[in-house]
Amino acid sequence: MSYFKPFYLFFFFPLVILGYYLLPKRVKPLYLLFCSYVFFFLISKKLILFVFLSSLSIYLAGIWMKKMNERRDCQLQNMEKEEKKIFKEKYKQKKKLILIGTILFNLSFLFFFKYLNFFMTIVNKVFQFISIDISFPWVKRLAPIGISFYTLQAISYLIDVYREKIKPEDNLFKVMLYLSFFPTIMEGPIARYTEVKDDIYQGKKITYHNLCFGYQRILYGLFKKLIIADRLNIFVKLAFQRVDIYSGATLALGVIFYTIMLYMEFSGTMDVVIGSAEVFDIKLPENFRQPFFSKNISEFWSRWHITLGLWFKDYIFYPVSLSKPVKKLSTSVRKKMGNKVSSLLMGAIALFAVWSLNGLWHGAGWTFIFFGYYHFILILLGNIFTPYIIKLCEVWHINRKSFFYQFFQIIKTTILVFIGELFFKAPTLTVAFTMIRKIFTQFSVSKLSKEILKLGLDSKDFIIILLALLVVFVISLFKERGFHIRQKIEQQPIVLRWTLYYALILGIVIFGAYGPGYIPVAPIYADF
Amino acid sequence: MEKLIDILEELQPEVDFQEVDNLVDGRYLDSLTILSLISEIEDEFDVQVPTVEIIPDNFNSAQKIWELIERLQEEN
Repeated sequence: MSYFKPFYLFFFFPLVILGYYLLPKRVKPLYLLFCSYVFFFLISKKLILFVFLSSLSIYLAGIWMKKMNERRDCQLQNMEKEEKKIFKEKYKQKKKLILIGTILFNLSFLFFFKYLNFFMTIVNKVFQFISIDISFPWVKRLAPIGISFYTLQAISYLIDVYREKIKPEDNLFKVMLYLSFFPTIMEGPIARYTEVKDDIYQGKKITYHNLCFGYQRILYGLFKKLIIADRLNIFVKLAFQRVDIYSGATLALGVIFYTIMLYMEFSGTMDVVIGSAEVFDIKLPENFRQPFFSKNISEFWSRWHITLGLWFKDYIFYPVSLSKPVKKLSTSVRKKMGNKVSSLLMGAIALFAVWSLNGLWHGAGWTFIFFGYYHFILILLGNIFTPYIIKLCEVWHINRKSFFYQFFQIIKTTILVFIGELFFKAPTLTVAFTMIRKIFTQFSVSKLSKEILKLGLDSKDFIIILLALLVVFVISLFKERGFHIRQKIEQQPIVLRWTLYYALILGIVIFGAYGPGYIPVAPIYADF
Repeated sequence: MEKLIDILEELQPEVDFQEVDNLVDGRYLDSLTILSLISEIEDEFDVQVPTVEIIPDNFNSAQKIWELIERLQEEN
């Protein structure tokens, strides 16, 4: 089951809404938990045990840390200042053991399901190299759905409890719901406990306003996925499968289409997810903020998969850059080379950690690791050279706020994103580099015109894609300018509003890419 | 407070730190500038800024950063 399957849209979700609407307030959150576990079970069957074990472990660790804090605070009352400091440190170390133990417990599932085969292949290669006759078999393992997402969520809960940023939850069912809430379980967003706890446990009423707003958002997601992403899929599939036969220009178009498809699929899913939660008056964090208006790669990653970026920032970037060894190193560098160089160094070390993990999080494969380091290098170069570029612009009297300069920046960033996504999608690094070579050495527009209609799409498809992209672009432009299009629609007379909704539904039904000749995009991020 | 404003102006000369109250949310301070700022604060005011304190709310204005410094000094 995925959020775009008729089973979810026409059976599961309406049934959840109906039950939620009819049940009394205090039972509503429990009902949501029940539905979330049913949702999970329908996809991952007995692997549901793992999401339960994750919930149980973070719940118990949270309670344990809470008890320790209470005991600590009680004992601290009769102590002198110095004694307090030593005592606090002792407790902190004990809590750290609980934290690390529980994180490792949760990561072990992720490692087993997602990374074991990859690491075994590396071990096998090392053994082969040093002539040891042992080989670990590659075992196909079906991972619990969304394990990469809910594990990060579990870790964020644990660290926030450890840091005493949040109070641990006393009710196991509430922790279970936080981790398994059915709209977020497959592809996020990676919501923090503080972001959802006020909404998710209240059992709020379903109102006409929320129902309309939620479904409005779901429809927009369906528009992006069914009209654009699913239509582009066949072209992308063929282009990446037959790198050997297509010209550089066709491959370049395949890469551009893949990036658009990925954005439409993932952001469309987020629309359905956030819209589904909105029906229950639960506000989830946004995962996209018009990423293709970014002027550099760093900005792109603050607009694309936002909740993942923030997770890495809070739990990897700052802890690494402010860790004792890094601080020690930066202090000695600062004395010799100044604050700017030392901050660059601190940032570079932390960025290296972030992008190593970011690459690996996306998948156990060399292409993903390369994808991570590609972005690490681009961001690092940006950090190093931006001050010089600013100075150069001042010397040459280039207005960095002018439309043309910013447009150039956006185009440059978009091309760099395309190259990154090429590595992300390519099955192996060899294929990726072959594609790069062909794009830069065999770019033939005449060949493109001969090949373009041979990859599953006809001229009508291209017109539909262009028009749909235009709609998405205009909506994005409005959002970028701070114009709240959804509120504006709500203010329109009921006849106009519903005409718009029906037009959208009809548009999806008529122009949606389903049926023979089309291959729907499988939930890309759900596999991570 | 004056010392803090000096540090901030040196890091981001284009920003009016007396007025702006969305330094992080408005993206005037990126993560690298925050790292530089923390190093300067730790040196200048003899405090340790723990990771848990690096939240937008503590860095959104010069006043908020000053309040954080005072709180950390008190805790020390």
